[in-house]
Amino acid sequence: MADEGLPVIARFEVHRRSYLAPDGTVLRPLPDFASDMSKLLALYRGMVLTRAFDLKAVSLQRTGRLGTYAVSLGQEAVSVGIASAMREEDVLLPSYRDNGTLLWRGTKMEEILLFWGGDERGNLSSGPAHDFPYCIPVGSQAPQAAGVAYAFKLRKEPRVAVCLFGDGATSKGDVWEAMNFAGVHKLPLLFVANNNQWAISVPLKLQTASQTLAQKAIAAGFIGEQVDGNDVIAVRAAAEEAIAQARAGGGPRLIEALTYRLSDHTTADDAARYRPPEEVQTRWKEEPIARLRAYLVSQKAWGKAQEEELAAECQKEIEAAIERYLASSPRAPETMFDHLYAELPRAYASQRGELSRGSDA
Amino acid sequence: MRQFLFPDLGEGLEEAEIVTWHVNEGDRVVVDQPLVSVETDKAVVEVPSPWSGQIARLFGAKGDLIKVGAPLVEFAEGERGDTGTVVGELGQEEKAHREVAAPAPAPARTLQVLPAVRALARKLDVDLNLVQATGPGGTITRADVERAAKSLAEAGPAEPLRGMRRAMAQRMAAAHTEVVRTTVTDEADIEDWQKEEDATIRVVRAIAAACRDETSLNAWYNAEAGERRLIKRVDIGIAVDTEGGLIVPVLRNVGERDARDLRAGLDRLRADAAARSIPPEELRGATITLSNFGMIGGRFANLIVVPPQVAIIGAGRIDQRVLVHNGAPAARRVLPLSLTVDHRVVTGGEAARFLMALKADLERAS
Amino acid sequence: MPELTLVEAINLALARAMEEDANVVVLGEDVGVNGGVFRATVGLQQRFGAERVIDTPLAELLISGLCVGMAAQGLRPVGEIQFMGFLYPCIDQLVNHASRLRNRTQGRLSCPMVLRTPHGGGIRAPEHHSESTEAMLAHIPGLRVVMPSSPERAYGLLLASIRDPDPVVFLEPTRIYRAAKGQVEDTGEALPLDVAFVLRKGRDVTLISWGAVVKETLAAADELAAQSIDAEVIDLATLKPYDEETVVASVTKTGRCVIVHEAARTGGFGAEIAALIAERGLTSLLAPIARVTGYDTVMPLPRLEQRYIPSVARIVAATHKVCEFA
Repeated sequence: MADEGLPVIARFEVHRRSYLAPDGTVLRPLPDFASDMSKLLALYRGMVLTRAFDLKAVSLQRTGRLGTYAVSLGQEAVSVGIASAMREEDVLLPSYRDNGTLLWRGTKMEEILLFWGGDERGNLSSGPAHDFPYCIPVGSQAPQAAGVAYAFKLRKEPRVAVCLFGDGATSKGDVWEAMNFAGVHKLPLLFVANNNQWAISVPLKLQTASQTLAQKAIAAGFIGEQVDGNDVIAVRAAAEEAIAQARAGGGPRLIEALTYRLSDHTTADDAARYRPPEEVQTRWKEEPIARLRAYLVSQKAWGKAQEEELAAECQKEIEAAIERYLASSPRAPETMFDHLYAELPRAYASQRGELSRGSDA
Repeated sequence: MRQFLFPDLGEGLEEAEIVTWHVNEGDRVVVDQPLVSVETDKAVVEVPSPWSGQIARLFGAKGDLIKVGAPLVEFAEGERGDTGTVVGELGQEEKAHREVAAPAPAPARTLQVLPAVRALARKLDVDLNLVQATGPGGTITRADVERAAKSLAEAGPAEPLRGMRRAMAQRMAAAHTEVVRTTVTDEADIEDWQKEEDATIRVVRAIAAACRDETSLNAWYNAEAGERRLIKRVDIGIAVDTEGGLIVPVLRNVGERDARDLRAGLDRLRADAAARSIPPEELRGATITLSNFGMIGGRFANLIVVPPQVAIIGAGRIDQRVLVHNGAPAARRVLPLSLTVDHRVVTGGEAARFLMALKADLERAS
Repeated sequence: MPELTLVEAINLALARAMEEDANVVVLGEDVGVNGGVFRATVGLQQRFGAERVIDTPLAELLISGLCVGMAAQGLRPVGEIQFMGFLYPCIDQLVNHASRLRNRTQGRLSCPMVLRTPHGGGIRAPEHHSESTEAMLAHIPGLRVVMPSSPERAYGLLLASIRDPDPVVFLEPTRIYRAAKGQVEDTGEALPLDVAFVLRKGRDVTLISWGAVVKETLAAADELAAQSIDAEVIDLATLKPYDEETVVASVTKTGRCVIVHEAARTGGFGAEIAALIAERGLTSLLAPIARVTGYDTVMPLPRLEQRYIPSVARIVAATHKVCEFA
């Protein structure tokens, strides 16, 4: 085409951001916040707690005390890195795997267990009251995020909506329609595509022919950036920049966080049916917790004693939360009707009565 | 089962303390995936998995000391079962639902009635079975109910059947459902009887005679078992009309008793019946029955055979009739005879032969 | 008092709501500069600005999802879906989210949104522009489904829907957008939701309807009156949740009922009403419950659409049959 002398009217670039190699060595100058060791330690603790909690949740499911659960093994840096860049007044719209994000923002462990254990009260959440709960229909949170961001813009509030979804979601119309609208209206909205390479059993190469997920933003008129999703420093830095820009009126951004789903899709899935163990083995070498640990140890900021202490603390916290969860009893059945509408319509009062009397007659 | 023994991590290590497990029993792990963190003298060290596979068993809990060479993790052979889903749980063993054949529905009289009309009938205390339906498709209308209410008000009060009347109603209904009736009739020329002939006793003795000739009508039939019992002794049930209703006391062993004895017996039965003092045993066990309805009136009748009996004789009103006698018309006294049998058990031939025997005996001069 | 068409009444209610509450926002395709393809939103963008009256991209799923997000944040979004035939991409957001946001967060978040869309056929439009699938929506717990049948009720019910703290799908009868005229004063007074309107009192038979066919039903009642059948006409107005008491009381009084709806027969909302009457009014019935409905076919193209929509003659005939039953 170029031979015919036709003008090129559009080009695009996608940058990839990373700071730490898989073995923890530094690749390029770290962002400012990384010189504050307490911040890095907080990130490390967040990831370790998330992984330990996920592991315990699986154990509960295996022993019949929790329903289906989606583990975030290998993706802890994305969850924690994004959350750490948000302010409390910002609004989170998660998918169903962002356990670390919810925990960082204040949701209690027993609340997460209560939700996956089958009780709506788990969504009452001790985190920010304006955050959205886990979203199961893939990608459907994206148009909602656009609505939230629009409200901020209309009311001229310096707040940002942060929408997390996976690589599978980027094939959905929901996500495209939301990004498209966000671009038109320059909404204060950060889209995070958590690219863990697998949508249940469908690998990325069957999901899209696009070279990156990040470049889908360009079609919507804004910047898309790739980030090493296993490098929590990179994730946080990218998120901070994007959120600051959005807050300042600079419009939306898409961050594609490259990571890997080291676990099955859910506790009911068996990934060995569709992906080779060698692949998983290779990816373990890039995992985020070992990576940051290696860096911290190299900076003499972490050691055996702290590791022990942290492990013990996490266990204690998790066990206490599990105890509280296991001690909870189901809601009274008639409470099914309690938040159906703001006020229960007369037409349904008798059904509620049936449940409270304990009869199905 | 493959066991992974705790490896020598170097520098003369003999044992180490388990700090944290990173996997659960049942997990599938891959090579190099961290299994556990253990504490040696020098550091907390992660122990990676040597194989890919499923963890069957973890040896030791947090805080336990584990010796080099001791089992650390046991791997299971074979695959984890396929859950067959990606969320929730699919139940496994479901007992096959055995289809039970629905019982045949009880035949019911279906009345086409709208609920509002039904409610009205209830309110007016009208039995819908008594209402004549004039609505489309045989439905009962409100007007139908109101009309029935009016006529029921004009009729006498409902009188529940009690005692003998109730027993008769039930017995006759049962007989009707079961028995296959056939009736054959004739007349006996009794001109040659003496003037004061005891008609009833004569008939009774003639029945006994006929039973001797044609034994198949003095019998009991058990329909359920499909068995017939021919009986030697003739015990005749005599239908008696009393104030309270129909009663059928039994005149025993008619074949062996003389006329006077039979008359005395019959009189006693009649008196007891009138006085309502018949003991129940006197009403049971008839092998054949006589209905003397002719004492009141009527000539021939289609009678009711009451199981387990198979026959009933009806004696009609004795009258003078013009018959052909010795080739010429003559006024003769005749006794009309009706014989109803249960055709499940008694053939037409047997019935006819019995009737002829009965007639022949009755036509003998006294 | 000004006489307005139904669509003008809707416009009036929208303007009123936007005036009173700065949180009310209108969004949809062509709603801003163009004032809506049916002119329901005419003048609003000029008056309230492009930030509050948004011309969205062509994306119905987006419109409904935006409404959910905005509503959760305390805005009062009123989304327009250009025709009910294009509502279906919104089902995910309506059923999976709007209807249950309050319930799944146990009241922490709620969804006070309205989605408006033209309903029903009879305007000689091409395919897919004449849908009447309200029964689908009335099935969903947590939603409200409202359908006015006159300009007065359109004004009052739309105000009520916008002010309601829960999600409402507001179905507007397309073929009487301009044909229906009424006296509508801009009082800002809402009509009650969840309540049926008895448009005509009668003794002999109850006619229940909603939307555009209320017009035919009322005309049928007039014809029946001339034949000495005194019909009571009820406009259900809110389909979910609906006014069970008014329905049962009326049928208890008359003993006869004819339900009229444009939507297809099987599983149409008339079936729900018939079931309720059978459950709670059986002993008052003097005849079977009749339904006069669209057929169980795809809504035909304009040449046949008038044979599909219940006509006055069909309603009158069905009512006669019911009254002559016994």
